[in-house]
Formats: sequence, structure tokens, C-alpha cells
Amino acid sequence: MSQQAYVSRLGRGALGFAALAAAVLAGTCIGETPIPVLVVLQTLANKILGAAYVLDPIDMGIIWNYRLPRAIVAACCGSGLAISGMVLQSLLRNALADPYLLGISAGASTGAVAVTVAGLGAGAVSMSLGAFGGAVAAFLLVAILARAAGGGVTLHGTGQIVLAGIAGSQLFNALTSFIITKSANAEQARGIMFWLLGNLSGARWPDVWLAVPVALLGLAACVWFARALDAFAFGAEAAASLGVPVRSVQVVLIGLTALVTAVMVSIVGSIGFVGLVIPHAARFIVGVRHGRLGPATALIGAAFLIAADVLSRTIIPGQVLPIGVITALVGAPAFALILVRGRRAR
Amino acid sequence: MILEARNLCWSARGRPILAGVDLSVSEGETLGLVGPNGSGKSTLMQLLAGIREPSSGEVRVKGRRLAEMPRRQAAQMIAFLEQQAETTEAITVRDAVELGRTPWLTPLQPWSAEDDRIVARALADADMEGFERRSWSTLSGGERQRVHLARALAQCPQILLLDEPTNHLDIQHQLSILGLVARLPVTAVIALHDLNQALACDRVGVLSSGRLVALGTPEEVLTIERVHAVFGVRVSIVSDPCDGTRLFRFRPLA
Repeated sequence: MSQQAYVSRLGRGALGFAALAAAVLAGTCIGETPIPVLVVLQTLANKILGAAYVLDPIDMGIIWNYRLPRAIVAACCGSGLAISGMVLQSLLRNALADPYLLGISAGASTGAVAVTVAGLGAGAVSMSLGAFGGAVAAFLLVAILARAAGGGVTLHGTGQIVLAGIAGSQLFNALTSFIITKSANAEQARGIMFWLLGNLSGARWPDVWLAVPVALLGLAACVWFARALDAFAFGAEAAASLGVPVRSVQVVLIGLTALVTAVMVSIVGSIGFVGLVIPHAARFIVGVRHGRLGPATALIGAAFLIAADVLSRTIIPGQVLPIGVITALVGAPAFALILVRGRRAR
Repeated sequence: MILEARNLCWSARGRPILAGVDLSVSEGETLGLVGPNGSGKSTLMQLLAGIREPSSGEVRVKGRRLAEMPRRQAAQMIAFLEQQAETTEAITVRDAVELGRTPWLTPLQPWSAEDDRIVARALADADMEGFERRSWSTLSGGERQRVHLARALAQCPQILLLDEPTNHLDIQHQLSILGLVARLPVTAVIALHDLNQALACDRVGVLSSGRLVALGTPEEVLTIERVHAVFGVRVSIVSDPCDGTRLFRFRPLA
């Protein structure tokens, strides 16, 4: 690669990082009580660089303990879910694939209600841990079912994993409803409902330290495997004849998307449509080559979820909407657009 | 022997599709494979390309077992032009041809000016210059076939496996693809339907019901009796008054 190309790639990277920082900053400033950018920057300087600006301790507390970790977690979830969706759409060659296709969100909700409503683990297990356990269990079940159906993550027949995912999701959603109907009181049912639609209000620094490395891992994997993902454009057999070790790439990438999605869902609940819609939006903007598409998808996903979170906090004064409501309000029309466009392309 | 198949078998759901195929191809040779629909040509090509694993038997490339070779190394040696590889992605002709460089690139060994030259050369060889920015969905069947050929050429393979490469092509491009393959310094295995085109190969293999029933020079193999027996048609051989080239003429049985 020429030096010029390196410089332009570096420039794009810097631009992307600046955009991400701006989005996080905006997510921190905007809220029920707007906080000036200067105050936010001064707070960051105090906390990170040890500066000694004199600020209102309440503002500082809101910024450092609530809004900043919340914005960072939103960015990580947005990029993680969007990247997962992109990888699955490319690998399975299915424009409607999304990270919940593998039964992960259904499994997470079952895990969460098993802990909070049915009292699994007798209080020693947190809801996040329960959700993570449920997500992993559901994914394993789907993977085993897909394998037993003769397809699974193999060269011939990616269709089976889609069908197995649908079956697994239905099963775990039914289990969730069963547990709620059987043992939850109205208060618990409402709390679970809120969590199922996605909720960032519990995001704190420990969540940041979990979400950031997982999101970075997802992004790094899709940059590393960018050419392999490109090679799937004409199907798995074409990818194999182009030198891609199809089976191992599929196992690694599908396993990784399952991990990223399970972690994100366990932190914020199942936020829909991000993983489905953002990759398509990114394809419109930067094209289908994964070297660019991966970072663009991550960036757009991050910015989109921060914006959705800000909207969810501010659209109805004094009340926080589940973030999934916002993403679906934007996502459903976008989804319809994809369907119509897909029909035209055939 | 650059490419060898030993006792290759492949079956689907217990039904044998290919049985006991022995084959060897020497360097620089062009081998044509002919046979009726469902005789196992495409399956044999996929086994030779290493994208399917044989039920039994083995494929060797330059003496090494293909199944044990890393995919990347295999793809640096062998390019495979499949039948009907399609995509719904909004990719351009250039994107598709650049995919041919995949086996030669790693995340640490990125795209270079040399790769640009190879891609331009492949586009020129497949007569697709000027189409670089066209989107895949706007191409005709024949143009798509030529893009696939350019992608295979961009792999810089020593062995070229072409599964019915002349499908969808107009007669000019049929002749130019076969001429190109003959000119290139590669070993080629080509599955063909047109027996007259098979006559131009160095050697021809005839597949029937999953077995290789004949292998040799076109004159030895493509006899009136064998074509009659394998394809179920009446054949006569005529010679071109211009240069005396042998040609088949086919008629239905009775």
C-alpha cells in the first residue's frame, strides 16, 4: 500500500474517532438538565488529568457517575450489536439476519426472568449474569440443533442455523412468558417489560469496563477478517475456492458475535433493530467492502444508540422511555425500506 | 503430474454421484471433461478444487494431498470457476475481480500496486475493460461469466478449473475464452457441453453415471460409437472444407 493510502486511512480513522468522541460528549451534555460542554470538559479534566476546576459537585456527579458511563456503554452496545449483525448478514448471506437470530436475546430474557422472578440462584446471581447465562445456553442449543439438522456452521447449508435460531427463539420466549405468567406480580412484570425493551439507566463504570473491551474485540475481529468476509459475497463455496478456511472462519466469527451480543444484552437488555438496520445503512454510505464497512458500521451504530438514548431520556419530559421503543420506531420503517428495495433488486 | 485424482468417490445421502475416478493431468495440459447432465462433472470439479471432501480417495496437487493443504495455499495454486455463483450484494465488477487476490493478501500484507496491475491484466484478458465501475446487478449472464473468469485469472493460478465456462456466452466470447485458456501458461481442466469444443483440448475425459469411462486424446476418446453410447444421439463426423478440421454433427436417435 502506498504511503498516501496509509495517510488517508489514518485520516479517516482519526475522523471516525473524533466523531465518536463528539457523540459521547453530546450524549453527556444533553439530558433533562442540559450541561454546557465546557463544564463536561472541565469535569473530564478534573477526573482524568487531575485538574482543579471549581465546579458544582452535583453537575460533576451527574456527568461522571451517570451520563458519561451511560454514553460510553450506549456507544459500545450500538457498535457491538451493529457489527454482530453485519457479520451474520455477510456470513449467512441473509439480508435480514440480526444478532438475535441465534436465539440470544430470547435466551437472555429467560435467564433474566429466571433470576429476578423465579428466584433462581437465591439472590446470589445478578440479573445481568442470569441474562448472560441464558443467552449462552440458548446459543449453544441453537448451534447444536443446527448441527444435528445437518447444516450448522458448515459449508453447505447456512439455512439450518437460521431455522434453528427461529425455533430456539420461540422456545425461550415461551419459557419467559411462562415464568412471568406463573410467578411475577404486576410490579415485577412491568420491570421485566422495561428491561426486555432495553434500558441504559443502570449503566455504571463497571459496565464500561466490560463493554469497551468486548466491543473492541468485535471490531478488531471484523477488521482482521475483512477480506474473508468480502470473499463470502458469492457464497461459501466461492469463499473456499478463494482460500478462505470457511469452516473455521464461520465458527470463530459466529462464536464471537454470540459472545458480543450476549454481553451487550446482559448489560442493557435486548435492544432491537440496531443489528439489523445499521449495517444496511452503512452499506448505503460506504459500500460493501468490509475493510471500510466494519469500522463504518461500528461508528454509525455507536452514534445511533447514543442518539436513541438521548431521545429516550428527553422526548417525554420527566419520563424515560425504553430505548428499544426508539430504535424500533426508527428501525421498523427502515426495515420496510430494505424489504421494498430487496424486492426491486430481484 | 501437477494434478492427480486417485479412486475419487463421492456420494450424497448414500447415493453414489461419483465412483472410482482416477485421473492425472500434466503441467500445461488442457483436459476437457464431457458427459451428459448429472454424470458428475461438477462434482468432480468441486472435488478437484478441494471445496468438497471426497467420501474416499484423494486429490494430490504436485504430489501433496489437497485435503491437508491450508485453503490459502491451495487457492494460490488452483482457481475454480463455478457454475452460477451469484450475489445480491451491490458490488462492482472491480470489487468482484479484486476478490481474486484474496489468497495472496493478509491483514499484514495489504493491497499493493502489483495487485492493481494483476487485476487490470485479468480484466483485459477477460475482455471486461471499461466495465470496472459497473454494478453486478446490471450485468448480463455472459458478462457475469467473464467477470468470474477475470476473478479466477486474478488468482494467478497454476491450475485453472472451469465448470462450463462457455455457458451464457455469445460465440465470439466462447471462442475467445477457450483461446485464452489455450494461450495462458496454465494447466486447465474444463467441463464442456459442446463436443466440438472438446475436440480442441489436449485430452478428453468422458463421464457417464459418475464413472470416468474414457480418457485420452480427442480422436481416441470421442468416437462415433462412444458418443452414441454415452449421450444417446446419432453422430456423424464431417470435415470443414476450409481446413479439414473434424466436426461432429448430431441427430436424435430414430
